[in-house]
Amino acid sequence: MSAFYFISDETTSEDVVVLAMGGEIDFAASPQLRDRLFGHIKSGRRRLVLDLSDATFIDSTAIGVVVGALTRLREAGGGTLAVVCPDGDEHVAVRYPETNTVGNRVRQVFVITGLDAGVRLCRSREEALLECAVAA
Amino acid sequence: MSPRPCTAPALAEPPIADLHLPAHSSYLAFARLFVRRAASACGLDEGRSHELEYAFNEAVTNAIRHGRPDARGQIRLSALWQGDRLTLAVHDSGTFVASLPGGAARDPAEGGRGLALMATFADEVEVSNEPGATTVRVSKLRR
Repeated sequence: MSAFYFISDETTSEDVVVLAMGGEIDFAASPQLRDRLFGHIKSGRRRLVLDLSDATFIDSTAIGVVVGALTRLREAGGGTLAVVCPDGDEHVAVRYPETNTVGNRVRQVFVITGLDAGVRLCRSREEALLECAVAA
Repeated sequence: MSPRPCTAPALAEPPIADLHLPAHSSYLAFARLFVRRAASACGLDEGRSHELEYAFNEAVTNAIRHGRPDARGQIRLSALWQGDRLTLAVHDSGTFVASLPGGAARDPAEGGRGLALMATFADEVEVSNEPGATTVRVSKLRR
């Protein structure tokens, strides 16, 4: 039994790379994320959207890949990495009985690790593409 | 008056489960399933179960990345339920490497967040380390 994950990417007419990764992004899956993300930056892309709308799990090795992508963008002279993590979607949300609140588990990890300050954390792909358009 | 003979059964050992896994990242999903099953059997709610699953995934990832498997290429996972506490442990044959440059989840380096995230999501984290034997335990209380 391997973790279920999928990854796909496309480039918009505005030259923004949209990388969608769903399922469980653990140490078995994060090398695929690293290859795609770093590959796009190496080939000169500077505006990227990482759509995690369908991700149900993200571990510290995948968070490390995102940090590495930010570092590479900075070293290349700057760029934008927008990450899509919607709130409250049924299959990725968890309800905390103490506070009766619902939080997206993937988004929670970005906030705990402080990456919400480094990447543009967006609630939809449209919002992320807008961030990239503004940064153009 | 002589004491009455004790007729109660001997105290049962605490409920425990063991699982041996190949030390390879493709088996991490099994480790997470192991936590979910143990948490469900022990009555942890979904939120606590997920937090324990997250913490334990980090512990097992660390054992796979930095630990040493046994002669069969395996690491051992165990679950122990005592009172209101569920403890998950991962045992390997190496010497513990924390891999945390600054020890903080917010460190700017690419690696080193595993232990800090474990501490965030578990109620307790314990590392037992001696040459050739490392055990990392994460536990969660049922509240």
